Amino acid sequence: MKLGTLLTRDEIDNTIHEPSRPQTLITGGHDFTSLTDAVCGLVEKPRPPRAWYVAITFTGGLTLMMFAMIGYLIITGVGVWGVNNPVGWGWAIVNFVFWVGIGHAGTLISAILFLLRQKWRTSINRFAEAMTIFAVVCAGVFPGIHVGRVWVVWWLFPLPNYQGMWPNFRSPLLWDVFAVGTYAMVSLMFWYTGMLPDLATLRDRATTRMRRLLYGFFALGWRGSNRHWHRYEKAYLLLAGLATPLVLSVHSVVSFDFATSQIPGWHTTIFPPYFVAGAIFSGFAMVMTLIIPARQLFGLKNFVTLYHLETMAKIILATGTMVGYAYATEFFIAWYGGNPAEQFAFINRAFGPYVWAYWIMVGCNVLAPQFFWFKKLRTNLWALMILCVLVNIGMWFERFVITVTSLSRDFLPATWAYYRPTPIDIATFVGSFGLFLTLFLLFVRYLPMVAMAEVKTVMPQKHWDDRVSRPVGDYHGDVPRDGSGGRRGREDHGEEH
Amino acid sequence: MNDSTPDRNYWRSLEQLAGSDEYRRFAEAEFPAEADQSADAVSRRRFLQLMGASVALAGLTGCRWPQEKIVPFAARPEGVTPGTTRRFATSMELAGAVSPLLVTSYDGRPIKVEGNPDHPLSRGAANLFAQAGLLELYDPDRSRKPRRREGGAAADRGWDEALAGIAGRFEDARADRGRGLAVLTESSSSPTTARLRARLRRELPEVFWCEYEPLSRDEEREGLRAACGRPLLPRPRLADARTIFCLDADLLGDHPAALRNARDFAEGRRAEQGWMNRLYAVESTFSLTGAMADHRWAAAWSAMPRLALHLAACLFVECGVVLPQGAAALRPLLETAAHDPGRPDWLPAAARDLAAHRGRCLIAAGARQPAWVHALVHLCNDALGNVGRTVDYAEDPDAGRPAHAEALADLAARLRDGRVETLLVLGGNPAAPFSARLGAYDDETSRHCRWHLPRAHFLESWADVRDADGRYGVTQPLIAPLHGGLTPAEALGLLLDGERRSAHDLVRETARGLLGDGPGFAGAWRRLLHDGFAVVGEDLGVVPALAGRSLTAAVREGAAAAAPGLGPDSLEIVFTPDPSLLDGRFANNAWLQELPDAMTKLAWDNAALVAPATADALGLAHGDVVTLTLDGRTLEAPVYLLPGQAPWSVALSLGHGRSAAGKVGNGTGCDAYRLRTTAAFAGATALGVTRTGRRRELATTQDHFAMDKVGDREREARSRTLVMEGDLAEWRRDPGFAEHRQHHPELKSLWKERDYAGHKWGMTVDLNSCIGCNACIVACQAENNIPVVGKKQVNEGREMHWLRLDRYFQGDPAEPRVVQQPVACVHCELAPCEQVCPVGATMHSEEGLNMMAYNRCVGTRYCSNNCPYKVRRFNFFNYNKDPDPLRDLMHNPEVTLRARGVMEKCTYCVQRIESAKIAAKNEGRPLRDGEITTACQQTCPTQAIVFGDLNDPDSRVAGLRADDRAYAMLAEMNLKPRTAYLARLRNPNPELAETSGHEAGHAAH
Repeated sequence: MKLGTLLTRDEIDNTIHEPSRPQTLITGGHDFTSLTDAVCGLVEKPRPPRAWYVAITFTGGLTLMMFAMIGYLIITGVGVWGVNNPVGWGWAIVNFVFWVGIGHAGTLISAILFLLRQKWRTSINRFAEAMTIFAVVCAGVFPGIHVGRVWVVWWLFPLPNYQGMWPNFRSPLLWDVFAVGTYAMVSLMFWYTGMLPDLATLRDRATTRMRRLLYGFFALGWRGSNRHWHRYEKAYLLLAGLATPLVLSVHSVVSFDFATSQIPGWHTTIFPPYFVAGAIFSGFAMVMTLIIPARQLFGLKNFVTLYHLETMAKIILATGTMVGYAYATEFFIAWYGGNPAEQFAFINRAFGPYVWAYWIMVGCNVLAPQFFWFKKLRTNLWALMILCVLVNIGMWFERFVITVTSLSRDFLPATWAYYRPTPIDIATFVGSFGLFLTLFLLFVRYLPMVAMAEVKTVMPQKHWDDRVSRPVGDYHGDVPRDGSGGRRGREDHGEEH
Repeated sequence: MNDSTPDRNYWRSLEQLAGSDEYRRFAEAEFPAEADQSADAVSRRRFLQLMGASVALAGLTGCRWPQEKIVPFAARPEGVTPGTTRRFATSMELAGAVSPLLVTSYDGRPIKVEGNPDHPLSRGAANLFAQAGLLELYDPDRSRKPRRREGGAAADRGWDEALAGIAGRFEDARADRGRGLAVLTESSSSPTTARLRARLRRELPEVFWCEYEPLSRDEEREGLRAACGRPLLPRPRLADARTIFCLDADLLGDHPAALRNARDFAEGRRAEQGWMNRLYAVESTFSLTGAMADHRWAAAWSAMPRLALHLAACLFVECGVVLPQGAAALRPLLETAAHDPGRPDWLPAAARDLAAHRGRCLIAAGARQPAWVHALVHLCNDALGNVGRTVDYAEDPDAGRPAHAEALADLAARLRDGRVETLLVLGGNPAAPFSARLGAYDDETSRHCRWHLPRAHFLESWADVRDADGRYGVTQPLIAPLHGGLTPAEALGLLLDGERRSAHDLVRETARGLLGDGPGFAGAWRRLLHDGFAVVGEDLGVVPALAGRSLTAAVREGAAAAAPGLGPDSLEIVFTPDPSLLDGRFANNAWLQELPDAMTKLAWDNAALVAPATADALGLAHGDVVTLTLDGRTLEAPVYLLPGQAPWSVALSLGHGRSAAGKVGNGTGCDAYRLRTTAAFAGATALGVTRTGRRRELATTQDHFAMDKVGDREREARSRTLVMEGDLAEWRRDPGFAEHRQHHPELKSLWKERDYAGHKWGMTVDLNSCIGCNACIVACQAENNIPVVGKKQVNEGREMHWLRLDRYFQGDPAEPRVVQQPVACVHCELAPCEQVCPVGATMHSEEGLNMMAYNRCVGTRYCSNNCPYKVRRFNFFNYNKDPDPLRDLMHNPEVTLRARGVMEKCTYCVQRIESAKIAAKNEGRPLRDGEITTACQQTCPTQAIVFGDLNDPDSRVAGLRADDRAYAMLAEMNLKPRTAYLARLRNPNPELAETSGHEAGHAAH
C-alpha cells in the first residue's frame, strides 16, 4: 500500500479548506463510541503486536547501552568523551539543548494552541506532550552526567547545609537548573491532568483487576461529574497559562548559557528568540517524525488526519524560515557590529574546519523546509517524513555548530583545537534515542495516545443536543445522517458534559 | 641554603626506618620471593609493594656518608624543624656543562631544584634538565640492583658479588698495566675524575681512555686547535656585544652556557639603557636564538661553511677589516669569495654592521659546523677585536684527548680487532668480551654489557665539577641513594684501587688538594658545602695568539670542498639535539617528554622538520610518514611542516625512539641515531625521502603550521594584537605604542569594582626578554605538582601545564618571524570564570587572586569555556591515580593534588605568597619587594617575569606596570588582568628594511 495514497473512498480529503464549510477535523465517520473503541483498543489488546516487542527490545537495548556508557563515564572520567581544553562542552551539551528543544513543540501544542483555541490540536496534543516529557527526560540525563564530579552535582541546588555552601546565582547554569526543572514539572502535571478523563475511561472499560486498580489509582477517582469537569477545565486552563511562558522562557534560559558568556559566536542577544523558534521548529519536526508512523501503524489516520499533518508542516515552514532569518541576522550583526572576534567566529563557522557541519545545518534547517511551500509535498507522507527527519538532523547540527565551533576557535589562536567525538559520545547519544523511544513505546501501549475527551469536543456529535444554537467558531460540521453515532457516545464517561 | 651548616641529619629518617635489624628481617620476610625479581615482570600491585619495601630498604645499601652509625631520632636534631623546607647547594653536570643548583628538601626528600642564586653562571636560574632531574631521582624505572648478563640471560645480583666480580677483572687488568682495558666515559669537568684519570694514565699506561658525547662540541675545539695551535673552548660574553652574528649557533638554546648567554643577551635587549643589541641568525632549522633574532635567515646546514667564507670575504675585502698578518695567505681565497655570485644579498649589510662595532660584536658558529669554520670565525672575531672582549677562551682540561668521534671510532676499531678485553662503560654503547656499565637505567647499552651497575643520581651522589669559568663546585647528596648506586668516580676508584672507596672521600681528597690541606680545610669544606662552589685559582680565560699556518691550511682545505647541491633527490639531514631529551638520556623523564618543543610544540614525539615549500615540492603533507634513506640506512619518520626551515633541509632531533629507556621513554618518536654515523655526525647530504603512504597524528600542544586558510589568516593577524612587537625606532618615537595600538571604545564595567587596600598582586612578563626556553614550565610543573598526562591526552588537547608558551609564526613561511608569549592565568579583576561557576568554586581573594576551591568544584568546565585566555586546565581523568610511593615523595607538600573532575590553573604560586607573608608576620615586619618569587619567575634565566605587590609604589612590578611598553592582552574586554605584558622590541638593521612591525600591526585592526 502506497503511503501517499492512503485516502480511502470514505475518507474526505480534509486538507481542502472551504470557507463556507466547517473544517472537518475527524474523518472516517467516527462517532464517540467508535473513537473510544479505536483509541482504547490499542491499550486494551491483551497482547501488543509482535512488532512492538521487536521494537522495544531494540530500543531497550539502546537504552541499556546508554546506561552502560554513563556507568563507564562515571567510573572513568569525563575524558572518555572527546571534550578537550578549548572545547569544554561537547556532545553532552549539544544533546541536552537538542532534547530540550524537542520538548518545546509539545508544550506549544498543548498550551499555547489551547489558549489560542486551535481546535485541531486535540488530536495530537497527548502525543506531543508525551514527547515533551520523554524529551525532557533525555535532556535531563546530560547536564547531570557531563560534570566532572557527578556525585556532587546536588551542590547546584540551593539546599541549606551546615557548611554554608550556596550556589552562585550569577551563573546561567544555575538558571538552567531552575528553568529545566520547572519545565519538567509543569509539563508532567499538564500532561497528567489532561489525561485524567481518559484514564477514567480506561478504568471503566478495564476487564482485568490489575488494569482496574492501576488505571483507577491514576484516574484519581474521576467520575465525570459536573464538578469534576468544572475543576478539571479550570485547572487545565491554569496549567496552560503556566506552561505558556515556559515555552518561551526555558529555551531562552538555555540560550543564556551561551549568550551571557564571552565567547564570540555565543555572546549574542539574538539567542533567546532564535533558540525558541528553533526549539518549536525541531519539536514539530519530531512530532511529525513520530506521529506519521504511529498513525499508520495504530490506525489513527482518521484522528490525526492529513489536515493535521499539513498544518504542522506549515508551522515547520514558518519556524524554519525564522531560523534561517536568525542565521542571516547573526552574520549581519557580526559584520555590522564591527567586533573582529565575532566576525571571525562566523566566518570560521561557515568556512573554517567545521564547514561541513555548518552547511549541513543550513541545508537541513533553512532549505529543507522550503519544500513545504508546495501543498503536494505537505500532504505527501513520504515527503513529510523525509523532510522532518532532515530537520531533526539539522537542528542537532545547529546546536553542535553553536557549541563546538565557537569554543574550538575563540580568542587566542594558540589555544585553538579541533574537537572530535569519541565512540562513547556517539553511543551515549544514540542510547538517548533508545530511552526516548522506549518511553514512547511504553506510552503507546499503556496510555491513550489520543486525548479522547478533547477530541470529542471537536466532533459534530458534540452538538447533538444543541442543533439550534451553534456558537460561532465552535461548529464542527454535521453529524452523519445515519444518526447512530451520538446516542451511544453519550454513554461514554469522557463525554459527560 | 643559608641554614645548611649542620647538614648531616636530613636523611636520617630513612636510616631510622631501615636501620634496625628487626626492620630488615621484617622487610625481607615480607617480600621474600620478589626481592630478586626484575621489575619488568611484576604486576602493578606487586610493583607497588616492592616499591614500598625498596624505599624503606634504600638506606640499607649504598650509604656513603662517613658517619656510618645509624641513630634514630630520639630527640629532634638541632636546627631541623620537621615540616619545614631546607635548601642545599649542589651542582649538576651534563656532558661537561655545569649547573649550579639549590635544591629544596622537605623532611629529607628533595622536592624542587632551582639554580644557585649566588653563582654567577646561574643567578637562580636552572635549565630544564636540572629541574627535571628531580623526576629522574624518583623514577621507578631506575635500575635497583647490579645485573649480570650471560648468554642472553640476565639476573640481578647483590652488590658484593657484582663488585667482587668486576674488581677481579680489574685486578687482572692492573696486573697487565691496563692492557686490554678500555674506559668509555662521557665528558666531565670533575676534578676528581680528572685526578683519577691522570692516576689511571700514570699507573696503567696501556689503558685506552675514550671520552665520548653524542652531542659533541669538538668541532669547535678542533677549530680552535687549528686557529690557535691548541684546543680551546670559546666562551661568549654577550653582555657587551652590540652586534651578534650566529652562524648555525644556538647560543640561547643548546649552548653549554645557555643560561648565562640568555641573561647577558637579555641585558643587551633592554633598550631603556640607551642601546640595544642586534642579533643576526642564519640557521637551517628554527632555534631559540633564531626566534629571538632581529634578522633571521634560513640556510641549509651544508651551505653554512660557504656562508662563513662569504662573511669573512665581506669583512676583510669590503668592510676594511684588516686581515691579520698570519692569515694573509687567505686573501686570494677571500677575494674570490667576495665575487661569488652565490653570496646572499643581505650578508654585506650584516657584515658592515659587524665591522661598525669592532670589539663590541661577536660571530658565533654552531657545534654542527666543521672545524675550519670555527677557525675562520675565530679569525674574524680576532680581526674585529672581539677576542678578550665579547669572547674569551678556556683551556681544555684534557687537552690531549682525541675528538669524540675519533675516539669512538678508535674504540670501535679496537673492539673489532679484539684488543679490548675489559670495557668499563661510564656512558656509551659497544660490546666487548667483558664489559661493565654504570648507568641509571638498565638500558640498551647495559643490555650489551656483562655487568650493569646502577648509577647514583646526582641528588644522591658526592661529586665535584669545574665550571666554564674555572670555579670549583661540589655535588652533594640530598638523600641516600634510593636504590644504591655507584658514582663514576667510585667506579674509577674501584678500577684503580681494587676496593670501593666512597665518593665522599674521593671528592674530599680532591677538595683538599684544591682548597689547601691546612688547618683551614674543615672550614673551607663547610663553606664549599654551604655555597656550593668556591673560587679556586684564577679564571682559565685566555686570549690566544693566532697560529697562522695551521689556520690558513685548515681554511683552504675546508673551502676547497664545494658545497653540495641540494634538490628534491638529494636533501640534507641535520641531527639536532632534542630540546627536551637532549641526546636521549632524558627519554624516560615524563616532564621533559611532555614539554612542548618551543617551535614545533611537539610533545612525546620528534619529526622530520621540513619547510612548507620543500614539502609541496616533494608532495608531502603534515603528518605523512616518510622513509629517510641515508647511505643505505633507513628510518621512518613523520613529516612536520615547519616555517623557516631551510629549503631542501630536513632536521631530525636525536634522543627519541628508544627501546629500553623505561616505561615512559620507550617507543616515543623515531630514533635518529639509526641514520647517524661518525661520518655523518652533525648531518649529511644525499638524503632520500620517500612517502610510505601512511600518516601519523603528531601530538602538539598548539596548532601546527598547516591549517585552513581562514584560520591561518586570522591567526597571524590576531597574533600581532596579542604579542605586541615594535621596532626600536618606533618605540623611540612612541614608547607607548603597545597600548596605542589597542583600539577599543571606552571601557566601562558592568560590575562593581573592588578596591584592593592591602596587597594587590600582579605580574609582568617582558616579551622582549623571554626567549621561550621552557624552563618556567618545568619549574611550574615541579612546584605545583602538575601531573603528566601522556601522549594520547596531549593529542586530545588535555595537557595540564598551568603555564604555556604561545608561539606564532608571522609573514612568509619561508622566512617567517616568530613571537612567543608565556601565558598562565592572568588573574583578571573582573574574572569571567568567576561569574559563570554555578557553585562558586572559583572566587576572588581580597588581594586580587583568582582562586580555585578544588573541593567545591563540580567540574562543569563553564569557567574554562568562558576564559578568553584558555588557561584553565581540567582533570579529565584521575591523573594522580597512580599511587606510586616513590613518586609521592617528590610532591610539594604545600600544594594540593587535584582529583579527577576538577578544574585547576595558575595560582600565582599562592603557597609561596602565603609562606612569605607568614614569615614576615612572624618577624613583625612588612613584606619586602622581591621576597615572593613565583616558581616561573624564580627560574627565568632572563628575568622576564616579575611578580609583586602593585600597591607598593616602589616594587619592581609596579614600576614595570607603569612602563610605556606595558599592555594588557585582550584589553578591549575590560577584564583588568593582573598580568601585564611588556611589548617586544626588534632592532632591525635599517639597511635591511622589511615590513615594519608597526604597519603590520595596524593592518591587523
